[in-house]
Amino acid sequence: MSQHAPLSKSTWVILALALLGLIGAQVTLYLSYNYTPVQITEGTLWVVTPDRGAPINLYESYRIFFIHLPSAYATALCCTVCLVGGVFWLLTRRPAWEALVVASAEVGLITGAVVLLTGTFWADYAWGSGRIGSGWNWEPRLTTMLILWLAFAALLVLRRSMDTPRQRSMTTAVYGILLGPLYPLVSKAIEIGQTSHPRSFSDLLSAPEVAITKNVASIGILLVFVALIALRFANHRLAQRIDAERSA
Amino acid sequence: MTNPESKIQNPKSAPPALQAFAALMRREFTVELRTKSLLTSMGLFAALSVVVVGLAVRTLPVNETYHRFVLGMLWVTSIFAAVVGLNRAAQADRGRNFLGALLLIPHDPALVYVSRLVSAMVFLLATQALLVLLAIPLLRFGMFDQPLLLLVVPLADLGILAPGVLLASGTSRTRGGESLLTIALLPIAVPVFASATGITDALQGGLGFAGAQPWLLLLATCDAMFLGMGLLLFGKLNEG
Repeated sequence: MSQHAPLSKSTWVILALALLGLIGAQVTLYLSYNYTPVQITEGTLWVVTPDRGAPINLYESYRIFFIHLPSAYATALCCTVCLVGGVFWLLTRRPAWEALVVASAEVGLITGAVVLLTGTFWADYAWGSGRIGSGWNWEPRLTTMLILWLAFAALLVLRRSMDTPRQRSMTTAVYGILLGPLYPLVSKAIEIGQTSHPRSFSDLLSAPEVAITKNVASIGILLVFVALIALRFANHRLAQRIDAERSA
Repeated sequence: MTNPESKIQNPKSAPPALQAFAALMRREFTVELRTKSLLTSMGLFAALSVVVVGLAVRTLPVNETYHRFVLGMLWVTSIFAAVVGLNRAAQADRGRNFLGALLLIPHDPALVYVSRLVSAMVFLLATQALLVLLAIPLLRFGMFDQPLLLLVVPLADLGILAPGVLLASGTSRTRGGESLLTIALLPIAVPVFASATGITDALQGGLGFAGAQPWLLLLATCDAMFLGMGLLLFGKLNEG
């Protein structure tokens, strides 16, 4: 049997975070199917009038919200970390900050995809005629989120194309900073132009079961993504050390 | 003061910033006057785009929707013409590292950034003027019923070029930098594009200034933010 090196303290922390997060995500799933009500009262956010026909009730479709919202929080976190990491890399030039920017851009790509997919699935049903296949409608928040997702992808493509490590770090930091203001834009998007995105969740959260499930979901799913960022960060740090050893 | 390095950084013989800026601007326009590379590539791109779009929409009826569509197409062409121009300028830099040489001036690198930005704006505005001139006959387009739009054009150009000039200085050093600039710039410049088209649509739709206000606010915010970032980061991105 091969001998493994003992796990470092930081790896244990990451594992603990991931485990906690995964438990939280499981509890979220349980709560959202067994604890929250089947249908929110008529007249609230979740009953919409489609273009044609009678108003439809969205019934259980709102449950996707418990994955959608925490993923949006995680995307906001990734975006903020990109900005902060970029600024601190420029100020200190420590490779750890670059690793942090890259790790959060990578995880941002995943969280952004989750937000886009869950949002589109729900919107397709809720904003369309109540059946799948009504299509993408260029709603401002949907669109700004897509742009942010593309910007995460652009950061990763851009840094891979740089010839020298110095250019790579520099470009990563600068693009991380440029990408930072996109999240406030996503959150403000519902105030500009025509929007069908829910503006407030107060109706929905007035049901205590929904509010509790939302809080559990926010913590649990956010923890999963934080653990993912930490994991990718540790990975990039390792790669940076190996590169440094090689070039020494 | 006795440190020799500080003397190099700030020699007494260095021209004042305004003079240095004027020299940088003169350099940008002299190069363009001699090579005419930017205006020809951007202008040709604009002309070809109008022809291609014109062909695609030649059978459409000219109505309100058509006019709005043409305005949107002009914005699309503008943003890509800007990318063409930025790439062309970056290509000229790459060969002989002109940018590296310019950054040796004993002033803040932001001065080089501003000179690049101003010249890029002048060239883009010239291209857009050509674009409109061509669109009037070829796309059956009448723009001048909305004079407020003329004010929006330079604001939008600033929002596209401020991050564009910054990013082009980074991508110009790599192979395949041309496609990279498009990939890197478009997500960042999309808020500007969205506000430009939003304002255009609001004005064209008869909503007036009030309808365009949220978009104008977004555009002004983007302009200020990107300009600030460019001034701060240009020197950092190109140091060493």
